[in-house]
Amino acid sequence: MRRNALGACVLAVVLGAGALDAQGVPRGFELERLGRHAEAATLYLAALAADPADESALLGLERVLPRLDRTAELLAAARRARAAAPRSGVVRGVELRATAELGDTRALAEAAEAWIAEDPGSEDPWREWTLALADRGALDGARRVLAAARRALGRPDALATLAAEVEQRGGDWAAAAGEWRTAVAADATQRANATYHLGEAPLDQREGVLAGLTAGGRVPSIGRQIAADLLVSWGRPLDGWRLLESSIEGTPAEVGRMLRDFAQRTEGLTDQDSRRARGLALAAYADVAPPATAARVRAEAARALLDGGDRAAARAQLLQLVDARDVPPDARALAEAALIDLLIRDGALGAAAARLAAAGDQRLTGEDAQSLRLDLARALVARGSLHAADSILGPDSSVTAAALRGWIALYGGELAVADSQFRRAGPYAGPREDATARTAMLALLQTIDEARAPELGRALLLLAGGDSAGAVPALQRAAQHLAPASRAGVLTLAGRVAARPGGDPEIALRLLTGAVAADERGAFAPEAELVAARVLLHMGRTADGITRLEHLILTYPGSAFTPDARRELERARGTVPRS
Amino acid sequence: MRRREFLGRLGRAAVAFGAGSRAVVPSWRRGDAPSWRPVVAASLLVPMDDSQTNHLKAYGLTYRAIGAGLRAEWLLNYRGGSFLLPDSGALRREAALDAVLLEPVGDATVAAIKGEIAGANMDAVPLEKGPRIAVYAPPSARPWDDAVTMALQYAGITFDRVWDAEVLAGGLTGYDWLHLHHEDFTGQYSKFYLTFAGQAWLSEMVREQSATARRLGYASVPALKKAVAVAIRDYVANGGFLFAMCTATETIDLALASGAVDIAAAFADGTGVDDDADARLDWRGTFAFTGARLEPHPAVAAFSDIDGHQVNVPGRRQPLGAFTLFNFSAKIDPVPSMLVQNHRPVIPDFYGLTTSFVRARLKPAVTVLGLEEGAPWVKYIRGDLGKGTWCFLGGHDPEDPQHQIGDPATDLSLHPRSPGYRLILNNVLFPAAKKKELKT
Repeated sequence: MRRNALGACVLAVVLGAGALDAQGVPRGFELERLGRHAEAATLYLAALAADPADESALLGLERVLPRLDRTAELLAAARRARAAAPRSGVVRGVELRATAELGDTRALAEAAEAWIAEDPGSEDPWREWTLALADRGALDGARRVLAAARRALGRPDALATLAAEVEQRGGDWAAAAGEWRTAVAADATQRANATYHLGEAPLDQREGVLAGLTAGGRVPSIGRQIAADLLVSWGRPLDGWRLLESSIEGTPAEVGRMLRDFAQRTEGLTDQDSRRARGLALAAYADVAPPATAARVRAEAARALLDGGDRAAARAQLLQLVDARDVPPDARALAEAALIDLLIRDGALGAAAARLAAAGDQRLTGEDAQSLRLDLARALVARGSLHAADSILGPDSSVTAAALRGWIALYGGELAVADSQFRRAGPYAGPREDATARTAMLALLQTIDEARAPELGRALLLLAGGDSAGAVPALQRAAQHLAPASRAGVLTLAGRVAARPGGDPEIALRLLTGAVAADERGAFAPEAELVAARVLLHMGRTADGITRLEHLILTYPGSAFTPDARRELERARGTVPRS
Repeated sequence: MRRREFLGRLGRAAVAFGAGSRAVVPSWRRGDAPSWRPVVAASLLVPMDDSQTNHLKAYGLTYRAIGAGLRAEWLLNYRGGSFLLPDSGALRREAALDAVLLEPVGDATVAAIKGEIAGANMDAVPLEKGPRIAVYAPPSARPWDDAVTMALQYAGITFDRVWDAEVLAGGLTGYDWLHLHHEDFTGQYSKFYLTFAGQAWLSEMVREQSATARRLGYASVPALKKAVAVAIRDYVANGGFLFAMCTATETIDLALASGAVDIAAAFADGTGVDDDADARLDWRGTFAFTGARLEPHPAVAAFSDIDGHQVNVPGRRQPLGAFTLFNFSAKIDPVPSMLVQNHRPVIPDFYGLTTSFVRARLKPAVTVLGLEEGAPWVKYIRGDLGKGTWCFLGGHDPEDPQHQIGDPATDLSLHPRSPGYRLILNNVLFPAAKKKELKT
């Protein structure tokens, strides 16, 4: 100590006190970073010799002296600093921590009490005292100081976040949760902090946390809100919703805010439970929301419920929208359309047809009515009810209806009629995926000379109905009756179907190899190669898949499938994400 | 690929060419490589203007060629910054697989190109050897969450990952090029601590960073990151090349300026930001910025007023525009010229936690490479520090301008001509350029 003090004096004389004050602290920090703690301490002490209350230098000493086992010097410097600047919280804090570091609990208490006497309304001395005890593992002592602080400050919610940390360190997560509830009740901006910290609770403590937040007779709703937030972050959004729902109370505005907060908490979460929980919260919010926004919120609820797989609840929301009195006509029409759409998607085709007929053009816009008729016809086609589908289309002369008639003809084996209807529909009718499927089918039909092929039509209908297992051999049988160039396309299609998840990759490879062999220079060869490569990659035969892709790229550089092959090659090599 | 292996493949390809005829039986059935008739030329021009079909892979092709010991030249400002490589079957095959457009050129054409270069604002820079590349990223970093990593992997350029322990142990000395992406060198977990509380990825980040700090003997994550920032600055001062994007640009300078000043919120180190922190920041040791003011609020996801866009701060967020690359004299200023080679002079802007750099916060010696006309910020800057050089590009992902956490990764095979990603790859290839005495 004496040698260091002497060094500091010499430095102070040589450089001048002002120079040390200006340069010593930054230089000391550089020395600290280089691990030269003793030299840094000398510079900090020199700075303090010039200005005993230099907080930067004192904090520097606090960083280096304990590492050098010279905490007593730190305490002495802190006491000199306190004499010079008795109201400095920084200085008092260093003194208190140094005292604690030396393990003298009584001196610690004296230092803390002196600070409290100097600044009786401040939380700082209580916080430092508590932390000093907690850092040394004296959690009971820390709790006693906290209790004293609350009495002295006259606020039972004082230092609640610190109290929560103390309880958390002691492993009492339920008590920590109670303190966080207090903290958030006093300062709502702490809610995110509470959620973060309590979110760290180990699995076996989580029920305790929830109990801590929701215990007691009349529980402030903030506790339940935090608990609900936690359940969301723990991947239990529906439990979170139930907890919130069971205890919601307050004015309609307060209830609305709680529901909206919960819905926002789940916004952006993509799992089904979260979406459903969000939908349920929005549906409840729609019940209390101002009329101007209620319809929009209910529509959003229906969408979230649909995304969350709760079709029944979604349907109920839509029915409310359709039947409600104060819903604007355009919103009602939208809801009616969504409801019929839902019925179609649920396979309730009879109910959908009845509702569509009843709604007519009065309760639906003309555009929606036509679109729903087409959707219903598509669903009927997929079910194999070709005549019913044709009849639903009625006199519709749109290009989309022409496209649909093309499919109906195709499944009936009338290839020439299908070709003619598809051409009439053109390349842009309907959604993009429909247009793509139609164009692909038109390309296949162009390679087939026969005007009628009932066996192929039946095979394609099986495929449209989702019977892949039945469609593959049916397509293979149908291909046998076609010329080689026509066969390549049908075999490629069969190979594609067999390559789908749940199919048989070996059969797929055999069909695709057959497609290439049937017409190696034809339009279907690169497609068959690409699908075969994907099958190989899916089977884990990466090297074979890469070889096949490289062959495709180098052999058919002008093919429309080559860009896809390159992307597949990138994925196989791991140079782009697989998603 | 080492040179011997590369030349071996070249030899095999030459044998395949000797077979002569075009294959009619698919090679995957025969079990050998597909063959095609070679066209012998003196060189292969890799045009980098709009005719190029895969600009990003062209960098990888060039990088691997020089890695295999082949001679290459970077033709600055010639057709978008083209490359000239020696003709070889192996290069042609790689280019065909990667959709890289090549133009075989004879000696006379090469001479004509060189003549054109001599008479215009262009230059031909020899490329000597592929730089050894390190990417600063935590061990748990996902491979698809970093634009540079994605660009390197897509282009087929190899790199090593380094993290705090390696950096502090002097492990950067073996590398020519270091990349930092969205690291927060203020140690505040990108200030996501409160807004993303409870998210598993954030908890993991906090745990990982805190454990690293403890293991390496630092009191807190901010203290650790300050030390790492100093080590990176030393690496550049000793001749290294630093390329940083997004948050790393802003926060490494904040860390370097902070010294003993506490600039981290209480959630990061237990104590709040020093009250007089702004006044005590020392900018003499920073790379690019000076005089910035910190954002002290722990829940505001911004670090300072260096970033012009403040994407996550409601009320301060600025809309995206487009930035223009500065046109330098290729013969007089080859270094900045290399860094701005592109087939598009104007590039749509893209957000990051740090999107842009406010002009008023730049040090006087900083060179602006790209800026938004009329805006108070710039996008792309460089400078020298000691024997080394650095380059900062604001933003997170040039092809995902509104990137959000949890968004799907960018698939670069869908953006093979990305002008934004070209800027990243210019930086990768720049250290390969043969050093010559600069005129400025």
